[in-house]
Amino acid sequence: MKFNSLRYILRETFHSIRRNPWLSVASVLTIMVSLVILGFSIFFMVNADNMATTFESELEIAVFTDKSVTPQQLGTLKLDIERMPQVSSVTIVSKEQALVEFGKTMKSSGNNLLDDLGGINPFPDRLTVKAADPQVVKDIAMRIQGFSGVENVVYGKDFIDKLLPFTRWLRWVGIGVIVAFAIASIVLISINIKMNIFSRRREIQIMKLVGATNGFIRWPFFIEGMFLGLVGGLLASATVGVTYDWLSGYVQNTLAFLPVVQNPMLFWQVLSGLLVSGMAIGAIGTAISLRQFLKI
Amino acid sequence: MIQLSNVSKIYPNGARALSDINLKIGKGEFVFLVGPSGAGKSTLIRLLYREEKPTRGQVLVNNRNLVRMREHEVPYLRRGIGVIFQDFKLLPNKTVEENTAFALEVLGMSTREVQTRSRAALELVGLGGKGKSFPHQLSGGEQQRACVARAIINSPGLLVADEPTGNLDPENAWGIMDLLYNINKRGTTVIMATHAKDIVDQMQKRVVAIEGGRLVRDEEKGAYGYEV
Ligand SMILES: Nc1ncnc2c1ncn2[C@@H]1O[C@H](COP(=O)(O)OP(=O)(O)O)[C@@H](O)[C@H]1O
Ligand SMILES: [Mg+2]
Repeated sequence: MKFNSLRYILRETFHSIRRNPWLSVASVLTIMVSLVILGFSIFFMVNADNMATTFESELEIAVFTDKSVTPQQLGTLKLDIERMPQVSSVTIVSKEQALVEFGKTMKSSGNNLLDDLGGINPFPDRLTVKAADPQVVKDIAMRIQGFSGVENVVYGKDFIDKLLPFTRWLRWVGIGVIVAFAIASIVLISINIKMNIFSRRREIQIMKLVGATNGFIRWPFFIEGMFLGLVGGLLASATVGVTYDWLSGYVQNTLAFLPVVQNPMLFWQVLSGLLVSGMAIGAIGTAISLRQFLKI
Repeated sequence: MIQLSNVSKIYPNGARALSDINLKIGKGEFVFLVGPSGAGKSTLIRLLYREEKPTRGQVLVNNRNLVRMREHEVPYLRRGIGVIFQDFKLLPNKTVEENTAFALEVLGMSTREVQTRSRAALELVGLGGKGKSFPHQLSGGEQQRACVARAIINSPGLLVADEPTGNLDPENAWGIMDLLYNINKRGTTVIMATHAKDIVDQMQKRVVAIEGGRLVRDEEKGAYGYEV
């Protein structure tokens, strides 16, 4: 590309914005609103997923052993369980540890039950098993029940039965929201760009008739689209960033039991993603919309 | 330089605009294209810079076959042809000077040279003081002259004009004819569709008449040949 053409293209881009300021404002707002919605739905999805993961990771299987099990047998049992597929971790909680733990909880609630026990440890040895996938907790628990030396296996049966459909639902809703808003914003933005180009179709036709190449016509539109997209993306990521920062702090303070994702790395990734998306949608949308008007 | 062989044009809506036209125009000629309204004059002109393609037949311009020409070569064809459009085709949101400059900017010419040349071209058509006006601020005749300025600005080898005096009073009309005459003198081929009987009769140039899409007359030093 010749330098003069480059100068022409930049001048043309900003002339066009200056001469159609309201069309430009409309484009920026369309891109901004679409990306704000998209940004929020991404954070919604991230949190839905995080919430589901948090709930699921709290699922444990408690394996209580027979009183007669020796420490050595306990070790073998641990190995056997660890060797089962889909078991992610097994930790031994010895009866001594169990007693200490119990003592701590009791003391914090001002209870002296431990002293009443008079040095007798009523707790059996226990194994805490975590599954790699919450779906198989039930299955694993049932199989451990059959191992020798196992007295009792406890897991949150009702909890799992309710939680799993819920987390699955939560994730699908999150993905659905993102996909829906991504499609909506692309449609919205391309309609806006089409309108913008349509209003200038005569101009494009004339340019072609006096011998402008498609590339020469395309560049100013392309850069304008990219620029407006960038501005829209910038406004969107600022809006989403400030709002999410405030909202997540607020939720954390008032509804502490809700796990809110406050990952700075992810935060900046999403925001810069919005910025780049704005620019890319502006540029690509323009290129695609232009094609039908260049056929003269 | 221009050759149409068995050219027919039927528009997508079924309108038959040209039927079996054979026409040869040499380099440096001045040709009037006459005929009643709806005869197909504009259509024939639009074939020459490939705004339209013929339905049948071949169109050769500068020994290039426009029917077979590839899409990306078309801009370079058009740069060698100045077109004075019947409806002017000025960009409404550009000043007159920017409009004329545009034909040079697509060539990648420097801003300074573009400016000098477009001022000179506007001066030539008598629009010296109107460079900063927008098309809607001009009269029909002035817009027409702006269109002429754009068409001649890069000294094209072929100039096609579709009723370039249609909106002008006789004085301005002759001004334009003077311009076309001089451009033709310098070697540019000029093809002009017109209804202006007195102009055709006085200029004593080749006259090609079309009626109902058919070529009905082709005379050297002809006359308009219709009653007005
Ligand atoms: N773009 C078009 N689409 C359909 N029909 C057209 C178009 N342009 C011209 N025509 C038709 O083709 C015929 C010739 O038109 P035109 O070439 O404009 O004639 P002239 O310029 O001699 O008046 C007319 O019947 C007209 O209605
Ligand atoms: Mg006509």
